[in-house]
Amino acid sequence: MSKTMLFRIQTLSWTMRGFCLLLAVLFCTCLGVHRENFRTCDQSGFCKRHRNMQPGSSDYVVQASSLRLSKTSLMVDVLNTKNNVRFLLQVYGLQHGIFRVKLVEAEPIRQRYEIPIGVTLVAEPEQAELVYHGDSNGQLKFSLGDNQMLINSNPLRLDFLINNEPVSSVNAQGLLKFEHTREKRAAKEEEAGEGAEDEVGAENEEEKPSADVDDEGMWEETFKGFSDSKPNGPTSVGVDIAFPGFRYVYGIPEHADSFALKTTKSTDPYRMYNLDVFEYELYNPMALYGHIPFMVAHNDKHTVGVFFQNAAEGWIDIQSNIADKSVFSNLADFVTGNNDVPQTDTHWFFEDGIIDVFVLLGPSPKDVFKQYASLTGNTPLPPLWAIAYHQCRWNYNDQDDVRTVDQTMDKFDIPFDVIWLDIEHTDGKKYFTWDGSRFGDSVEMLRNLSSKGRKMVTIVDPHLKRDDNYEKYTDARSQGLLVKNKDGNDFDGWCWPGSSSWPDFLEPKVRKWWADQFSLEKYQGSANNLYVWNDMNEPSVFNSPEITFPKDVRHLSGVENREVHNIYGMLVHQATWDGLLKRSNYKERPFVLTRAFFAGSQRSGAVWTGDNMGEWSHLKMTVPMMLSLNLAGIHFSGADIGGFFKNPDSELIARWYQAAIFQPFFRAHAHIDTKRREPYLLPEEHMIVARDAIKKRYSYLPYWYQLFYESETTGMPPMRSLWMEFPSEANIFEKDDEFMTGNAILVKPVTEESQTSISVYFPGKDVVWYDIDSYESYSGQQEKIVQAPVSKLPAFQKGGTIVPRKMRGRRSASLTYNDPITLVVCLDKYGNADGQVYLDDYHSYEYRHGSYALTHLSFHNFKLENNILHIGKDFTTKEWVERIIVVGVNTEPKNIHLIDADHNKMDLGNRYDTQTKVLTIRKPGVNVAQKWIINLH
Amino acid sequence: MVNYKFWWGAALILWCGILTGVQGVGRPKGVSLEKASFYVGTEFKCLSNGKTIPMEHVNDDYCDCEDGSDEPGTSACSNGLFYCENKPYKGTYIMSSRVNDGICDCCDGSDEYDGTISCENTCEKLFAEIRAQQEAFRKKQEEGYKVKLEYIQQGHRVKEEKRARLSELVKNKAALVEELDNLRAVKDEAEVPEKEAKDKHEEAWKAIKAERQKQRDAIAAAQAFAKLDSNQDNVVDFPELMKHKEFDIDSDGTVSEDEAREYLEDSEQTDLATFTEKIWPNIKEIFKLKNPEEVKEGEKSETAEDIHVEDGPPSPEVTDEQEAATPLDVSTDPDAITEGVADTAIPDEDRDKYYDEDDEDEEEDDYPGDDDEDDDDKVDVNEQQEKHKPEDEEEKMPEYSEETKLLIQAADEARKHYDEADEKVKDIEKEITGIEKYLEMDLGPQEEFSALKGQCFEFTDREYTYKFCPFDKTSQKPKGGGIETNLGTWGHWYGPEEDKYDSQKYENGQGCWNGPNRSCHVNFHCGAENILTGASEPSRCEYQFDFTTPARCSEPEPLPTHQVHEEL
Repeated sequence: MSKTMLFRIQTLSWTMRGFCLLLAVLFCTCLGVHRENFRTCDQSGFCKRHRNMQPGSSDYVVQASSLRLSKTSLMVDVLNTKNNVRFLLQVYGLQHGIFRVKLVEAEPIRQRYEIPIGVTLVAEPEQAELVYHGDSNGQLKFSLGDNQMLINSNPLRLDFLINNEPVSSVNAQGLLKFEHTREKRAAKEEEAGEGAEDEVGAENEEEKPSADVDDEGMWEETFKGFSDSKPNGPTSVGVDIAFPGFRYVYGIPEHADSFALKTTKSTDPYRMYNLDVFEYELYNPMALYGHIPFMVAHNDKHTVGVFFQNAAEGWIDIQSNIADKSVFSNLADFVTGNNDVPQTDTHWFFEDGIIDVFVLLGPSPKDVFKQYASLTGNTPLPPLWAIAYHQCRWNYNDQDDVRTVDQTMDKFDIPFDVIWLDIEHTDGKKYFTWDGSRFGDSVEMLRNLSSKGRKMVTIVDPHLKRDDNYEKYTDARSQGLLVKNKDGNDFDGWCWPGSSSWPDFLEPKVRKWWADQFSLEKYQGSANNLYVWNDMNEPSVFNSPEITFPKDVRHLSGVENREVHNIYGMLVHQATWDGLLKRSNYKERPFVLTRAFFAGSQRSGAVWTGDNMGEWSHLKMTVPMMLSLNLAGIHFSGADIGGFFKNPDSELIARWYQAAIFQPFFRAHAHIDTKRREPYLLPEEHMIVARDAIKKRYSYLPYWYQLFYESETTGMPPMRSLWMEFPSEANIFEKDDEFMTGNAILVKPVTEESQTSISVYFPGKDVVWYDIDSYESYSGQQEKIVQAPVSKLPAFQKGGTIVPRKMRGRRSASLTYNDPITLVVCLDKYGNADGQVYLDDYHSYEYRHGSYALTHLSFHNFKLENNILHIGKDFTTKEWVERIIVVGVNTEPKNIHLIDADHNKMDLGNRYDTQTKVLTIRKPGVNVAQKWIINLH
Repeated sequence: MVNYKFWWGAALILWCGILTGVQGVGRPKGVSLEKASFYVGTEFKCLSNGKTIPMEHVNDDYCDCEDGSDEPGTSACSNGLFYCENKPYKGTYIMSSRVNDGICDCCDGSDEYDGTISCENTCEKLFAEIRAQQEAFRKKQEEGYKVKLEYIQQGHRVKEEKRARLSELVKNKAALVEELDNLRAVKDEAEVPEKEAKDKHEEAWKAIKAERQKQRDAIAAAQAFAKLDSNQDNVVDFPELMKHKEFDIDSDGTVSEDEAREYLEDSEQTDLATFTEKIWPNIKEIFKLKNPEEVKEGEKSETAEDIHVEDGPPSPEVTDEQEAATPLDVSTDPDAITEGVADTAIPDEDRDKYYDEDDEDEEEDDYPGDDDEDDDDKVDVNEQQEKHKPEDEEEKMPEYSEETKLLIQAADEARKHYDEADEKVKDIEKEITGIEKYLEMDLGPQEEFSALKGQCFEFTDREYTYKFCPFDKTSQKPKGGGIETNLGTWGHWYGPEEDKYDSQKYENGQGCWNGPNRSCHVNFHCGAENILTGASEPSRCEYQFDFTTPARCSEPEPLPTHQVHEEL
């Protein structure tokens, strides 16, 4: 659904005419983001204070004599020489090649917020041995495995090296600024010292009596007439992080921008503040619904990452340069020979919290993903149905409507697994309720869906209607579970139901309370095949500055929302996830979709890119946005197929379905004001394209499922940029109009109208690529025009891979559990290929107890072998091998035989196409979860 | 959840046993009797391309034929069809992908045979339901059809009547038109002398008025000249003009030499004659604005400024709007005076004062009730009217001569006769158009929908009362009262080509906020009575009505003489 004043008004107007008319006058009706609703850096005091700093010598100095060491960590005092405020620097060595750098005030007046373990960090990170090599000329040297860290004392700087090659440096530009805790009364007196710290250039310090300079925005700020009381005064933290040797950095989603991040010299910094942005603009560093302060730098030798754990509003400036030797005079020692070393300088600053930076030293892409997953956790394997097709719309009007869609999809032979209900299904936007006149017997409706293996997702937003007859609200109110305003009363804001309050998801007891609401007893009219969608969880508050909580809103623990803003949405979906877990007594895998997210969200939610538009440019944008999300751990992500706003034409819808086949979360959605566009409503030409796309998605579900298994076990994203698979190919580092799904499928979606051919770059030296439909071959490291009529998605399987598919075209994924598998074996130029198949019960947590099968398939020397890597003691499956398509077989084999697990030998039929060199092996009939060999002679 | 547990628990009664299993009398599973003959022998030819495969590859759960014909009984071919026998009723085809997928699709359960799920035979029950539905429908159809026959008769009758009336009207019209032509000639004849006489009278009056105006202008010019000529040397020069702020063209607060010269038409000075002829026409508007006294005396009848003075404080700080309006305050246009005989009752200036608009055509639209200003203002205007009557006498055209009056009277008489005849012709044309429109209207192949025309039907749900007036419009109104919203006016029949009377489209209803105009799609169903049975809005601002009517009932098939197995 969507959300902004704008179309909020529309909805309201539908039901509450008078009110809507009033609002309609207040807000303009032009399409496009209302930029003025959101702060620019200039309108944000701390952003300005940090951004105005100039590179130079840092005021912060390490007092090396205070160094305290443990086996895995160090602790040392740091002094801000300008105001004598003391800090504590802690560095931990962590497993897998990660340094954690923490800088906190030594004697804070007030405790700064630190995110508890289990929220972003999945657990206390495991430490690893940090070896101290002594102090040489004020430089403390440490090593962690193959990686090194140098701490420069005066001024404070930390350099990180992989095998003695510098890859990252913290505070190299001297932009460290830690606004220490202070009392308001004393503020003025301190200005003398503090002012200097806060002022831009050193030359100003002496001249300006600081009293009036730094007051601006420190103790109170206003934006669009809203006043932010800022009782704690200035509390921001910031520091620069450089990546010498790297021209490209990626990540820090969510922004509607290119995958390779851009220099922010002439724009605002990339902003990170979870916001409900109506009709967001493309190619823009504005904040969107969720954020992950994780950045990856990549070059042809190394991949490294930085995770800045901070829940407050943040901004990141990025500049790509040739390494500046004057700033990096010390680093230059390490950079031998080449004077034109590219470098990316980044500058991170947050409104509150502490400096808590994890430096992930790779050195390969897959190492970085593993490292990041070791910190914030993995994407748990979704149930099979959740990666199938989702049919959504704001709104399916009533039970009849749901039944009609369900039946019509079947009539047109278009598979789907899930139908969704947006906010209109509730009684007056009171979540956990049903509009009785339209969904009078929801249980019956759910049962009907269930009879075809289908599920339903209903929306449950975190705002509670302030209605004394709404039990969830009165319960939360009387138990004192609601977020407070700055005066200590329950915060009252405007959202879909009108006047609303919000549970304080920061409190474990509130999350537990929320989770309990999903039991079948408490969520009346629900059933076990009902799952949940958390929207508006930034949170969205219509009548508040920047359409979210005022910053001085109070959580029950006493912290301001300012300190924790970006984790609120994640805690909402975590609690929902817990609720669904509880509902099945921890047996069934939940499904929750969320719009707001943070680092760690991947553990308990799928994410979609919010309210996009039905425009070609937005289709194109799905690739960079999802690559960024996948890079930052949000693997289960997708964009609304067709685009949420506007009425896309049928060609665009058809192309969007195609592109989404190989994007992780596969859901069509549309705004309430748009024309109906269920795939069967498209004109026949495009209906067929959409149906073929959906069926193709279903045929690749075994591959998708295995990729999600890989994601859970290794942290590898299922959707990958080309460089993740071809890390040393420097010419593809910026490429974001193509992507890889897993290691096998290269996709070039068509994102322009009326296009019938498209230029595809095929990466990889000596790599052969095969069209997934025609098996036509293309060799790597070349750009080639391929035909792409509207019926065709250009997608290619990499030679050397084996991909499992299911071809039976069932109505829903839940009906394919027993279906046989087709293996597509694409040979590399040496005639080899390998791949994996992962099987389990497709819906429960039994696999966590070992009840699954994982096999390794390899084709080598005309022999295809299926080796069992794991099979659960009691695990059985009916899935068998239906056919094997071997692509790139240059000579027709004379005969083919199978040797099964019991060493029985059996001849197999085949068909060989001399033109395409495709060999189809007929019906091996062996069980997928058994060892077998097929020989070609 | 479905019984997936079965899937796991089920014994391995896998396909192996059933694949080559044949059903009943020797034909492979999923094959209908009519196609059975293709599935005999030791080889099978794919039905569409003749590719030959061994018979044991039929129903072996592997798709060999591109057309899917080798796997009628399994799900192996995604494009195949499975035949449900549905004994003892008529069989039906389902998609192969529905075979052994854990859902009972055939009512006899024959599509689920791998042991994962056991399906009850529901054909009996299903058939009973279908029979009941068919019965009910048939009953409705019978009742409806009876009514429809009446509708048809009625429709034809109405059409006949209309046709008859039309030909009568056409005949009448011809006679009337002839008469009209005659009357027009009489009228034209009478109007010629009338016009001549009137024109003559008016020309004379115009000349008199022009002369008066000229005199007034000269007096005003002389007075202005005297005022401007501050040193009284009978010459006005630019330094004299520079003393008068109103000549400040660029509004910079002072009148520059250039500005003054501009008014003097680039001369150094001017005498009274030149001033009157050339300069006064250019400056009289701005000049008198600031010097109301002069104007008052000079232009008695054009009383804009004196009224300002009398009615309220003089406003040197007049608002921008007023300032903008003032140049128009004065009717210097001689035409205005002659044209506006009736107008003179209300001086233009007065109106401008109250109707604070700069409307260049104001002379023409000065009739009370002709605009939408407040009534209060109109009262004021009338008062002003009274007040200025004596002054306006002078401007009133003298009456026509008696001779002329007679001519006018004669012409009026001729016009009256003509107009009456013209009215009759128009009425008859209107009726003809109405009938023609009706006759053009598609009221069904047998005029059966004619009976619906002119009626309206309502349906009320939780929120709204929906109204359907066939061949006219569709609308909705909030149940609790409120404004009716037009959901579309009659557009056209909207059914598919082969059944166009299946539905209607109503279009161009009220616009939607940020969306299209509302429209409504009305589905017609057979029923014993005319009832609007449902209304919904499946897509924003696109409504759908369901309407049952006898007009949609076709003639029931004669009842079968023996009980057959109906198609399911």
